[in-house]
Amino acid sequence: MSSDVESKFHFSREMVSGEIYRKYEKAMRKHWKVEDLDFTQDALDWQRITPEQQKGLLGITIRFLAGEQAVTDELVPMLAASHALRRFDWTMFLATFLLEEAKHAEFFMRWHEAVVGIVDPSEVAPHFLTRGKTVDPSGRFEVRDVMHEALPNYGRILHEAALGGTEKEIERAFVQFSAAYNGFVEGVLTMPSYEIVIDTTTQWDAFPTLNQGFKLILADEGRHITFGTTACRMLIEKDPSYEEVVHEVFDAYRGNIVGLVEYQKAVPGLDVGKYQTMKVRHYRNRCREMGVQPDDTLIEQILDPSIDFVVGVEAG
Amino acid sequence: MARQWTCVEAGCDETITAPDTDTIIELVQAHIADVHDSFELEDMIETVLIDVPDAE
Repeated sequence: MSSDVESKFHFSREMVSGEIYRKYEKAMRKHWKVEDLDFTQDALDWQRITPEQQKGLLGITIRFLAGEQAVTDELVPMLAASHALRRFDWTMFLATFLLEEAKHAEFFMRWHEAVVGIVDPSEVAPHFLTRGKTVDPSGRFEVRDVMHEALPNYGRILHEAALGGTEKEIERAFVQFSAAYNGFVEGVLTMPSYEIVIDTTTQWDAFPTLNQGFKLILADEGRHITFGTTACRMLIEKDPSYEEVVHEVFDAYRGNIVGLVEYQKAVPGLDVGKYQTMKVRHYRNRCREMGVQPDDTLIEQILDPSIDFVVGVEAG
Repeated sequence: MARQWTCVEAGCDETITAPDTDTIIELVQAHIADVHDSFELEDMIETVLIDVPDAE
């Protein structure tokens, strides 16, 4: 049979026994639906908490509402690149990834609609904490909006590479995008935020469906993050020079990681130090998954108690 | 072969070894919950497991 005909078929025994294909199979087994969730108790809880608690919680959930829409929107370059790299197992997994991100966006839309009574952009936008306004009083760190700035920028570079770049250009751009998306945003920056919501709803003994939704979403995110970091590891093993790209991405948005996430101080009673410390674990884990050496200066800065500006509010 | 995982929480270098993946995931999640009051996702544990020789 000619190789031209064989090129129409992508499955191989090696591919379907590989780690990315197994993630696809797991995603298919773990499917859940927003319509099965009941928001009744959460709506009652919303009425009984104080305005201060409402403000603190909404500051978190609105960021997730925007963030899940952003990551759904920004996945196309990864799909295009997987196609260009002839990685059909990556394409299959990304199909579940895209569906799940859309579902996460749907979850937050339904929660805000049923519990808070807001859906339209004009209703939700006033509650959005603008990270770009953050000022580090020491002047050492710049805080940028990695979700809404880095992902579109790196996504555009990856898309252009996928459409006309060399294999090396696509691979390098894939590592850059995935390090930002799966490694930085999903894998380090957002992890304490999930835990803050779960801890808050547990501490308040309220919002059982928000708590349940976060746990369901987290299980999906575990697959997404490790897909990206595993793909990066495969590409870095192929060309070790790509490791530098990972460090460049983390360095460009260093201020976002070393500062305290706004929610750490928005909900009184939470152990602020715990969320800062866990960023180190998640950062080291992402590096371990990608097969890259962690940047010790970043770890020292995350743990430095003198660096305590809060990302998302205007300091001073 | 047994499966092994090492904690990378700041100040912790706990190493856990178990005969299979399901068991080690349970042990790791218990360690993270009990010692660090946190949680670790199944896929994240599985991705960094290494194979080590079975204990004598």
